[in-house]
Amino acid sequence: MAAAPPLLFPYPPVLEEAVAAIVSLLAAEYPLAPRALALLLLADDAEAWYLVAAREGERVEQVRRIVQETQDRLGEPLNYTLLRHYHEAAATLAADVVSLPARQRQGWGNRLGAWTMRPWPGLPILGLVLYFGLYQAVGVFGAGTVVDFLESRVFEAWLNPWINSLVCSSIPWPWLQELLALDYGLVTLGLRYAVAIILPIVGIFFLVFSLIEDSGYLPRLALLADRFFKAIGLNGRAVIPLVLGFGCDTMATVVSRTLETRQERVIATLLLALAIPCSAQLGVILAILSGRPLALLLWAGIVLFILLLVGYLAARVLPGSGRGFYMDIPPLRWPRLGNVLAKTLARIQWYLLEVLPFFLLASTLIWAGRLTGLFPLAVRALTPLTTAIGLPPAMAPVFLYGFFRRDYGAAGLYDLAAGGALTGTQMLVAATTLTLFVPCIAQFSVMLKERGWRTALGIVLFIFPFAFACGFLLHRLLLVAGLTL
Amino acid sequence: MSFSGRSVSPVNRDPGGMVAHPGGRAGMPRLVLVGTPNVGKSALFNALTGIYVTVSNYPGTTVEVARGRAVIDGTTWEVIDTPGLYSLLPITEEERVARTVLLWDRPDLILHVVEARHLTRLLSLTLQLLETGLPLILVVNVLDEAERLGIRLDLSLLQQRLGVPVVGTVAAGGRGVDELKARIASWYRSAKGEERKVG
Repeated sequence: MAAAPPLLFPYPPVLEEAVAAIVSLLAAEYPLAPRALALLLLADDAEAWYLVAAREGERVEQVRRIVQETQDRLGEPLNYTLLRHYHEAAATLAADVVSLPARQRQGWGNRLGAWTMRPWPGLPILGLVLYFGLYQAVGVFGAGTVVDFLESRVFEAWLNPWINSLVCSSIPWPWLQELLALDYGLVTLGLRYAVAIILPIVGIFFLVFSLIEDSGYLPRLALLADRFFKAIGLNGRAVIPLVLGFGCDTMATVVSRTLETRQERVIATLLLALAIPCSAQLGVILAILSGRPLALLLWAGIVLFILLLVGYLAARVLPGSGRGFYMDIPPLRWPRLGNVLAKTLARIQWYLLEVLPFFLLASTLIWAGRLTGLFPLAVRALTPLTTAIGLPPAMAPVFLYGFFRRDYGAAGLYDLAAGGALTGTQMLVAATTLTLFVPCIAQFSVMLKERGWRTALGIVLFIFPFAFACGFLLHRLLLVAGLTL
Repeated sequence: MSFSGRSVSPVNRDPGGMVAHPGGRAGMPRLVLVGTPNVGKSALFNALTGIYVTVSNYPGTTVEVARGRAVIDGTTWEVIDTPGLYSLLPITEEERVARTVLLWDRPDLILHVVEARHLTRLLSLTLQLLETGLPLILVVNVLDEAERLGIRLDLSLLQQRLGVPVVGTVAAGGRGVDELKARIASWYRSAKGEERKVG
């Protein structure tokens, strides 16, 4: 066995004592230094415990007591203490060995990079990123300006009338006319939703996301969010799936498998299904509420509150405990335009390939449903629910769309709001309920695959009544408060 | 089987309490490359092994491990390139596999590959590896990038402080690879000599 190397940087005395005590207890042969094994045990490493339990018999209990006592004395998980120790020791060592060019030592990049990880001014910086990245770029520009242009100039003013008249004049059968054009046609509804409403919003979100990703901001956000996420049973690592959820919850549910424990994965899946709007929903909601700042704030506040509340309760109910994490922090840098564009295009391509067939299929299903009378039946079944939360019957199909795909429902909501069918109060209730309401079919199928049918079904059975209950409560509260937005 | 409510990691093969020693396995010593992703581990692997590579999934996982052979000073080594490892307290499946190779596959010598530009950050793993007591050489790679940025590194001081060999390389361009091979060969000779004495 190799002798333990001389200690470069002694650990805190409490740890040294614990290491020495554990080393003196370990009697078997191991493929690594007893010191190293003792340190792994202190860090609560499952593999190390397994190894020791198999060989040390009753002495394991003594080791466990030492680890527990040490942890109690230091008041934090010991893997934190250890990793911090190594980082500090590495920094001290490197300070003597590395000499940086003078100007780089205090570059603006380093300073900004450090700022983003502290609550002050990290939180205001996050606010700026959200305001410009999400609100201005995705909401105001994408869902507002670009969608307006494509909707009213390209489709409404030009393509739809042209297709409608072409179809009506050249095709004699009404059923085929309705499949292709008119109110719910493949072109006039399916293609229009996909190209004119969803594509600009999602495209701009992916552009912003790629920019943020390549700048090195996300791992910093993970560190910043870590302390807040602890309260909802997650740690900073969950930032990446949750932020990606603002793009597409289906994609994000797949990514949630990078989380460490089953508890974290279930909580992340639940929160993605419940309280993280996808970029299409987000863009549409930002666009229709942008003229009503109070409603927008209320919507964001309510959804955030529900996210924290449900996460907090889930962390209490589900077995397991939140754990620490370690993440590589790359330097902040200017994203390279070529890389950002390539990434954005790849994601848009993935999305279009995924979404376009689905939109066309949904249009066809709706057409078939209308032809057979099933669609009106489903709408009629949902109508009492929409009426109960104070929304007009025209919202019922939107909820039905939303079940096919989140973004499809969002596009329907946009259509309805643009037509002036909703008051400000109704928009708030509709936006909130639609955000919470069901993961779409695509997301549900991924949940089934990743989490198993028991968890997936449990989540959906919770969300469906919960979303409408929240809508109902919000509607009532707004009535009682006499608030018009 | 579980302890303190956590499930045991997927790797639960019992190594049987064997201790690494050179030439102990079918005459071929084993060299393992570890380090964080994107530090040029694979480039170094290629520089050491030439083109003979087998890439296979690590048993029971979807994580790929590349194995090859290198002839260094007349001795044939088995060279293993592991997935990215940030610390000895693994989080992801990839990290678990890397650590398993490191701790239970009985490596004779470990090359910890770091990128010169990020030495400050990456030395943390070097210190953790030193604690394991496994034979270690620190490879400071992508030296040219650091030089281009005006970063100067005192590698001999680092070697003195760490107490293990430190070699600077530009694996992609082949620079420093011969020196690294020489260090590996001299380590092997002295380790063998010691074994003979002990035996």
